[in-house]
Amino acid sequence: MNGNGPHDEFLDDLNRHRAMLVKIAAAYARTADREDLVQEIAVQAWRAYPRFERRSKFSTWLYRIAMNVAISYQRRDERTRRRVVTADEPALERIAGTSEETADERLAQIYELIEALDPLDRALVLLYLDDRPYAEIAAILGITETNAGTRIGRIKERLKRDAAHTA
Amino acid sequence: MTPPTLHKKLENAMDIDSIKQVWAESDPRLAANLRFNAAALQAWHMRASGDALKRLVRELIVELAVNVLGVGLIGYFASQHVGEMKFLLPAIALDVYAVALVIAGARQLADARAIRYDAPVVEIQRKLEMLHVRRVRSILGTLLFAPLMWVPLLIVGARGFFGLDAYAAGIPWLAANAAFGVAVIPLAVWVARRYGPQSSAAPWMRELADTIAGRTLAEARDALAVIEGFAGYSSSTGSPDGGR
Repeated sequence: MNGNGPHDEFLDDLNRHRAMLVKIAAAYARTADREDLVQEIAVQAWRAYPRFERRSKFSTWLYRIAMNVAISYQRRDERTRRRVVTADEPALERIAGTSEETADERLAQIYELIEALDPLDRALVLLYLDDRPYAEIAAILGITETNAGTRIGRIKERLKRDAAHTA
Repeated sequence: MTPPTLHKKLENAMDIDSIKQVWAESDPRLAANLRFNAAALQAWHMRASGDALKRLVRELIVELAVNVLGVGLIGYFASQHVGEMKFLLPAIALDVYAVALVIAGARQLADARAIRYDAPVVEIQRKLEMLHVRRVRSILGTLLFAPLMWVPLLIVGARGFFGLDAYAAGIPWLAANAAFGVAVIPLAVWVARRYGPQSSAAPWMRELADTIAGRTLAEARDALAVIEGFAGYSSSTGSPDGGR
């Protein structure tokens, strides 16, 4: 990279969306691995940038890369942990940040909720929380708008049921 | 202050729409300590360890090269022993095995190279999981068939590398080895299923046991089913219900 034209444009766009990468990494990686995951997402985006033809928004394109890299990371990590961790070992570190790591305890609660979801539902909720329209959510995930709306509705209901069960 | 219990957290947080504002307000804080630059991206790019897919592609290329070399060497051996069925038949059996490995490896390599992270998420996660299923199936097949190839490998290897005739050890001895090779397969599967999940085993042993017992393949298939269920994939068309 020599910092000319398109690369400057890429860096500007990437930096405008850096909070998005941090949030996605926090939702899918253990605390110690988040920085590595952010780096991996950034590098994959940089490698894919020459193919980006701006038929979609940069955010849509970047969300796809970030979600794919993060979900792939989490699946690999889960497979490894299944071989390493046993019932006798202490409970694994939670993926969600602790209140010591986030200034906002409410944000930590959000991550705790997200942690309970499977990777694709997690992606759906992250996009919904980022206030993406259903059409963009559908385009990022590769599902229909109807499917996206139905799934978000189901997740909300599930959360209400879980709250009622444990009350 | 005692942290609220989980159900209280869920109660407070269950209104997802109400937490969107909290979520949005966290952006400036999260972005404050991070800024990408060209030098950092270049440095990260050079670090080979970060990219699992690239590692898999390299692994597949090496495996493919070794198996292609094997096919070639065994094929050459077979051509040199066309008139000797006792060497030709084992060589053909080995070559069929090696060709099967080449085909499986080439398919996995093509799948891996087709992965583009900028494609829709469900499509890529489905491809990745299908690749994982194929890889596990291939490894399982290799492990389970390997004992059957022991005697052909002994015959061809002894003759090809050392000029020795393994049949000189006696047919009963060879037959016993072949029978052992057949028997070890169900035995390995039984041991893997019975003792595999033991916590005292090393991670690599547990992984091997899980593969032989079929647990890894079952897990991969389950994960693929979840992905396909998310998108509402039709089992007959292989595409999402409602199309895109």
